[in-house]
Amino acid sequence: MTLSTSMQATTLSPRPKAGTMDRNIRILGAILAVASLFAIWTTLSITVRPWVPTPYDTVLAMGRHLTSQGFYANLFLTLGRIAAAFLAASVIGAALGIAIGMNRKVEAFFQPLLAMALAVPDPVFIIFAILALGTGEAAGFVALTLAVAPFVSNIVRSSVQARDKGLDEMTRIYRIPSDKAFWVSLVPQLVPALLTAARFSFALSWKLVVVVEAIGQPDGIGASIFHSFRLLRMRDVVAIAILFILLMQLLEKGVLGRLEKRLLRWRQ
Amino acid sequence: MTGTSDTVLKVEGLQVSYGSIPAISSLDFEIKRGEFVAILGPSGCGKSSMLNVISGLLPPTRGVVEVDSRPLYDAGRHAPKLGYVFQAHRLLPWRTVKQNLELVLAASDVPRDQWEDNIDRLLDILHIGQFKNSWPMQLSGGQRQRVSIARALLVEPSYILMDEPLSTLDEVTARSLRQELSGIWARTGATIVFVTHSIREAVYLADRIIILTRGPSTVFENYHVPIARPRAYDDPRIAEVEADIIRRVEHAWGLDPIKQSEVA
Repeated sequence: MTLSTSMQATTLSPRPKAGTMDRNIRILGAILAVASLFAIWTTLSITVRPWVPTPYDTVLAMGRHLTSQGFYANLFLTLGRIAAAFLAASVIGAALGIAIGMNRKVEAFFQPLLAMALAVPDPVFIIFAILALGTGEAAGFVALTLAVAPFVSNIVRSSVQARDKGLDEMTRIYRIPSDKAFWVSLVPQLVPALLTAARFSFALSWKLVVVVEAIGQPDGIGASIFHSFRLLRMRDVVAIAILFILLMQLLEKGVLGRLEKRLLRWRQ
Repeated sequence: MTGTSDTVLKVEGLQVSYGSIPAISSLDFEIKRGEFVAILGPSGCGKSSMLNVISGLLPPTRGVVEVDSRPLYDAGRHAPKLGYVFQAHRLLPWRTVKQNLELVLAASDVPRDQWEDNIDRLLDILHIGQFKNSWPMQLSGGQRQRVSIARALLVEPSYILMDEPLSTLDEVTARSLRQELSGIWARTGATIVFVTHSIREAVYLADRIIILTRGPSTVFENYHVPIARPRAYDDPRIAEVEADIIRRVEHAWGLDPIKQSEVA
């Protein structure tokens, strides 16, 4: 009787689903991580005063920036530069990656150049672009494109070479014109790689744009951060950086995340 | 060998080499319109090379391949339409069943106003009408292979090549699909060239079996299956014919008794 009752209890008691448990663990982990960061920040703001601002001062500074017109002017300028660099690097990198992946002669020519470009530290591109083109918009744009495109190209090339060649045969046997086969068979196979490349390109672009602005531009978020640093206004440095990072994360998760969900809906 | 008007595919003196390595030494055969022909050969005999040649993917090193009395290669815009059922389905997973079928129809001469009816008719014949708007990943292996068969039939091809299309399916699904394939062939009158490792499958499905030698291959025998249709897969006569073929290929394929049982 006791055994039977305990078996019934075992059978009937609700058990949390694996998915719910995973989600709970993730949420708890995130809360703990933010709390730890906050505790370290608070400790540092007490011990390394005045170079590390307190969270409270930083929040006040963030509020001030969010209500100032200057912040938005700089933000939109930086967003424009990021968009231009991101688009140029993604398009050039993807096109080059496809060409290298599809054609051995193109691969033989570009692969050594690509390997060299990947080995060059990003600041070198920035410095040389400024030396060659001055501190105008073109220098930043060229430097960012040169720094980011090889990474995009490398990711796309690997994906092109790892494509399902059986689908190429299928399109040839059914006499699907090669331009149509490119769009309906090859490009969709590259979508996961293109999305990875886009994420990478975006992440690298916005970080480098800030560096380029800090080094060689009179305006933009990077210039604002550097200006505040020169005036030793550390709470403004941290406040602008946090606001910008949050916005970039929102864009990455919101726009690229949604795009990924839409483009890969056939997998669900 | 002289092709007659009802000859769909004529292969004459076909040789395929990869550099100095010969894959096919000399193949001669014909496929007549409406025939169901199985091609049987040991592993490494050059079946894949032969399929690549007669599907238009690989020009032969030497020899003639004609489809409907026209050379398969250098045919330009007169290139014949072929259907192909691959070992793996090779559907585009990011297109629905209907979109996959429309893709090959767009490249064929079938008028657009007939697409919908043709797709519906074939999906119904293959019992997958309800999956018309599904993604391939939502289908089972057998259902995907049915879509692949529908795709091959849709383009109204001169002939359909089937490269071990049932080898990746479980035996129950493969059995049901074999039966349906036999029925579809009877209903549509399609010309089918079916490559398989399974002698029993070849005997059950085909009118004629082209048996190849070990590679580099030649035709060992054109075997006419002496069993009337409809056939049952468990029919003892099929087992008898299967045993007869094994006896015939014993020396040509170099089979010892253990390997014979593997083939069976």
